Amino acid sequence: MAQTRSSSKLLWDVVAYVIMIGLAIICVFPIIWTFLTSIKVDEDIVTREMVYFPTRFTFDNYVKLWFQSSYPTLVANSLIVTGLTVLICLLTGAIASYSFSRFNFPGRTQLMLGYLVVRMFPAVLMIIPLFIVMRQVGLLDSTVGLAIAYTSFLLPLFVWMLKGFFDSAPKELESAARIDGSTRIGAMLRIVVPIARNGLVATCVFVAIAAWNEYLFALMLTTSQGSRTWPVGLQLMVGEFQLPWGMLAAGGMISILPVVILFAIVQRVMVAGITAGAVKG
Amino acid sequence: MSRALYTAAPPRTVWESINPLRMIGELSETRYWMYLLLLPSALLITAVVLYPTLYGFQMSFREMRLNRPDVGTDWVFFKHYIRMVNDPIFWLSLRNTAIWVTSSIALEFLIGLTAALALNRNLPGTKLLAVLILLPYFLPNVVAGHMWGLMLDPRLGVINDLLMRVGLLDGYKAWFADPKTAMAAAIIVESWHSFPFFTLLIMAGLKGIPADLYKAADIDGAGPLAQLRLITLPMLKTIIAAAVILRVIGLVNSPDLLLILTSGGPGRSTQVLSLYAFQMAYKDFNFGYAGALSVVMFVLLMGFAWIYVRLSKVNED
Repeated sequence: MAQTRSSSKLLWDVVAYVIMIGLAIICVFPIIWTFLTSIKVDEDIVTREMVYFPTRFTFDNYVKLWFQSSYPTLVANSLIVTGLTVLICLLTGAIASYSFSRFNFPGRTQLMLGYLVVRMFPAVLMIIPLFIVMRQVGLLDSTVGLAIAYTSFLLPLFVWMLKGFFDSAPKELESAARIDGSTRIGAMLRIVVPIARNGLVATCVFVAIAAWNEYLFALMLTTSQGSRTWPVGLQLMVGEFQLPWGMLAAGGMISILPVVILFAIVQRVMVAGITAGAVKG
Repeated sequence: MSRALYTAAPPRTVWESINPLRMIGELSETRYWMYLLLLPSALLITAVVLYPTLYGFQMSFREMRLNRPDVGTDWVFFKHYIRMVNDPIFWLSLRNTAIWVTSSIALEFLIGLTAALALNRNLPGTKLLAVLILLPYFLPNVVAGHMWGLMLDPRLGVINDLLMRVGLLDGYKAWFADPKTAMAAAIIVESWHSFPFFTLLIMAGLKGIPADLYKAADIDGAGPLAQLRLITLPMLKTIIAAAVILRVIGLVNSPDLLLILTSGGPGRSTQVLSLYAFQMAYKDFNFGYAGALSVVMFVLLMGFAWIYVRLSKVNED
């Protein structure tokens, strides 16, 4: 009996490995394939017989994309929009999630639910009025306008995720600081924020990745080189110039590089935060 | 008399009364501090979510064509909604949305659950494998779309080549050009992109199940599949319900991936409601009709969420 159980455990361990390794390959293969394509010469991409490993390595695709297209501008615009989005979320959202986490007040549950429900509103329904309003106030086709538009779906997410991290920071130190005569805001800035630092970083990274990746709002709300972000620009290049696969792959690799690095660094804390926020929601 | 009351307060220097840091510090001791902390974000959400949504609602009752200023912006009441009832593309999009959402969720849930169960055994090397398995969820739609576009390309695609090598295909197939396979291919790309969301949530849920339950089941002689059916899935019910509803919202609302992969084609075989509404606004500049389409989408989604939450609560009792 004991023996069959341990052999059955071994069997299931093997099954688990097969599943995990198989899935990991499926998950990573498109990325590896794109990378291989980006360093192939054109003759190795457009062939009659599939070439799996490049016969010659080349970084031409990267060089051409970076120096002969508007890609650097697009990346710079994306960086600005991403930075602004994180900044707005940090300034307005951090204090809101602190308030939800630390105080009990009339209307708290309803307000928190409100911050959750707004995520249900269809992007398309908001994008059209945002387009009209932004045009009226002169924020259409600007990085600031796009960053403000992004807060429509990222700020509620930010507040919920960060609240989870604030909740798990012990309240005793804060009480001690209050007894020592610190004001509420003093306790918040000097005690709670440093304790929840990891969570704060992870939440910011999550919002940054989402802003960096966003396509639909950017497509509708930017119209020129001055504020266009890389997803829209890349998509336009595909349409207008019939961007060759090699260069398209190079563009893809450049743009996912920051995401992959950031995700690898903060993934454990971030994963905990996403699940905490979603579970309680 | 009131003057006498004021002078009774401790004297202040001029600087102290205008020192901003001190003022914020004092403000933070008032009864309304928690509301003040919420004010900036609440104002912002009102401005970028609530106002545009209400605007969208009223827009759906007006004529609003950006490329035709001559028709004006008069109230047309239910004109757009009546047009919708008689619009075969609307009904087709609705049907496609149902297929797109249910198939993607079913696939994402199955893969996500399997992955979570495997990762939850905490075998050596799991941490690295988990990072690789979760990675697709964080990649941009645009890049995910083009990666798969490249792999599924009719002439240069590696998937055609691999499938031919193992004998599953006779000749190269144009996955996104054939109305019969376009939707299926898009669902596979979407599932690749989003199944880690289920993995993430289910993994968190699995950590909360007491190990004693499984030990007891072992003693009672319940096999792994019986344990999955009788312990794991019931314990995960709430989390699965939450994950499903969040994914339904995401899938119904965002046309991004389909916009990149197929633009609704070939024909209208992958036209979903959100994509139809977006194209109505972005290509035809018919904001009124696009607004009406998104309002219907929103109402359907809210209705679904309400029924779904009711049902999952009833099941709990």
